[in-house]
Amino acid sequence: MRRSLRPSLRRDLLLWLLLPLLLLVPLTAALIYGLALRPALDGLDRALTDTAVALAQIVDVKDGQATLPLSEQTARALQADLVDETLFAVGDSTGRLLGGNAALLTLSTSLQAGQWRFFDSVLDGKPVRVAAHAIHCGSVPSQVCSILVAETLGKHHAAQRAVLLASLLGAVALALPMALMAMVAVSRGMRPLRLAATELASRTPSQLEAIDTRAVPHEVVTFVDALNDLFGRLRDVAAAQRAFVADAAHQLRTPLAVLRVEAAQALDSPHPPALRPTLERLHSAAERGARLAQQLLLLARAEATAIDPTQPRQLVDLSQLVTEAADRWLQPSIEADQDLGFELAPAWVEGNPLLLAELLGNLIHNAIEHAGAKSRITIRTGMQNDNAQLIVEDDGCGIAADEQASVWQRFRRARSAKGTGSGLGLAIVKDIAQLHGASATLATGEDGHGLHVRVSFPASSAAAPANE
Amino acid sequence: MHVLIVEDDSPLAASIATAMQARGWRADVSDRGEPVPASLLQDAYDALVLDIGLPGIDGLETLRRVREQGSLLPVLMLTARDEIDDRVRGLECGADDYLVKPFAIRELLARLSALVRRQDQRRSETLILSALRFDAAARRAHVNEQPITLSARECIVLQYLMLKTSHIVTRDQLAGLVPGWAAGTSENALELLISRLRAKIEPGGVRLRTVRGLGYLLEPAVPE
Repeated sequence: MRRSLRPSLRRDLLLWLLLPLLLLVPLTAALIYGLALRPALDGLDRALTDTAVALAQIVDVKDGQATLPLSEQTARALQADLVDETLFAVGDSTGRLLGGNAALLTLSTSLQAGQWRFFDSVLDGKPVRVAAHAIHCGSVPSQVCSILVAETLGKHHAAQRAVLLASLLGAVALALPMALMAMVAVSRGMRPLRLAATELASRTPSQLEAIDTRAVPHEVVTFVDALNDLFGRLRDVAAAQRAFVADAAHQLRTPLAVLRVEAAQALDSPHPPALRPTLERLHSAAERGARLAQQLLLLARAEATAIDPTQPRQLVDLSQLVTEAADRWLQPSIEADQDLGFELAPAWVEGNPLLLAELLGNLIHNAIEHAGAKSRITIRTGMQNDNAQLIVEDDGCGIAADEQASVWQRFRRARSAKGTGSGLGLAIVKDIAQLHGASATLATGEDGHGLHVRVSFPASSAAAPANE
Repeated sequence: MHVLIVEDDSPLAASIATAMQARGWRADVSDRGEPVPASLLQDAYDALVLDIGLPGIDGLETLRRVREQGSLLPVLMLTARDEIDDRVRGLECGADDYLVKPFAIRELLARLSALVRRQDQRRSETLILSALRFDAAARRAHVNEQPITLSARECIVLQYLMLKTSHIVTRDQLAGLVPGWAAGTSENALELLISRLRAKIEPGGVRLRTVRGLGYLLEPAVPE
């Protein structure tokens, strides 16, 4: 119901094209009928005149008296017809019947010699077509004989039916292709709109480039221009957001650095034992604040990157990225009494190396933070089919199955989580993964404990460098 | 050790200077980049800590001018802006290392020490880590001043590990050190060489760790 209330260009166009066509079919048929019937009937009338002319030849004048010397055979020949009953009557100027049907002669009207008249009438209760003709028959010009030839309407009706059928067929034969063409034309006309809609629907939030208006029909250009204008404004917003993030980073990071340095310094300097718990809390809060700020800025940056198509993408080997990051994570894992290991094979993805490094860092940080002492953490890279894979797995305490979906949300932490994390790490992983069209999944480790995080990247359109 | 800190945020500059002084280092502070090249000529600094976002000429321009006058001083950049990260990350600007704010002071001091030590070793040709000493020219190693015997391959590997102290050295990097090794050397042969080397040098207060699946790391047994 509601659907039919919505205005539809296609429906309007079809309505305005097909409705007139529907009215035009009977009108056209009527016109053709009217135009074609007359000649057909005229032809039939001419057949009657032939008989009348033949009779006129037979009329003879003897001693000033008109006669019709008609043999029985000639009379039958003149009346011979396959379809209709033909009658004739010949009378002189006084109205005396010279030959033929007396009843027919009563229908004669006064005509000048040489004149013709055709009319419809009824004879013996049958509708007939009558041709009346007048000829001279005597020495005096006023002596005029009437010749009448009548015919029942069988051929007339047949002609009418044939012409009606022909005109109806003609009109329909014209209307059907026109209706089809109208539908095709409307459909074709709507296609650029449909294509534009499909293109827009398939865009990711980061695709904000203007639609090319060269291929867009004249009538739709204003609409597309408005859309492009909107895209432009969205790009500006993205740029403004990036600038804001950069400024915020600068403003926030320096005081946080002071806080971190001073807190650590205070803890290392000689101090009254009573102050130690306070200093430790201060130090831990500074560390937490620094990490939280770092993560928030990163999230904002990832989002700004997502809607900013100007961000460059390049080919990155995940195994290389892990190798470069390994240095940074080895020491924390040793301090946490963990065994950090690697199984690296080349895995090429197209993306932003800075953000990919952050994704990796967050996964390793999480593993070191939550797997616990004596756990074994392994980082794997490689290709599975055409998809680059990054896997971080540990044999620590893991995350309960019912929580594995919700920990991807911002500020959500697992019940088993130790320490003072912000709950942003996995949200950042998810954001950066999405930005690269990758899927990030979380599962319980193979033998039922620990955690197995897998980031699977889409097949890269660019080939990996051949010599790697 | 004598360090010049170039940082326009005076609380941060003071914090870093205080932390250095607590370690017995000397630290001077400048809040602008312009006078830095002249300062380096006047005083014998061991290292430079240089913030990128400075009023006037920025850190990158300051560094360019420093390098222009021929200084090889170890430089550690401080950065707060993501945009500049990418240039600094590749260290194409002539810096030796970089840290993103907010950093941990322990990390800043450790990185700076490593930079200065590397600079010293570059000059002296002698690599020293705890009680392990390696003379690169003579290809001889001492543990607690006692000479130890090393095969030619062990020498090459030890020198490389000492140059990269506290950094992971991958198996591929080690295998690539000696011509003909990369293709022919099995992982077991490398593992065997490392375990022999480990037995020889670990009495010298160093630890040669195996990083599972990746490579090795040489570090002081007791953190500096």
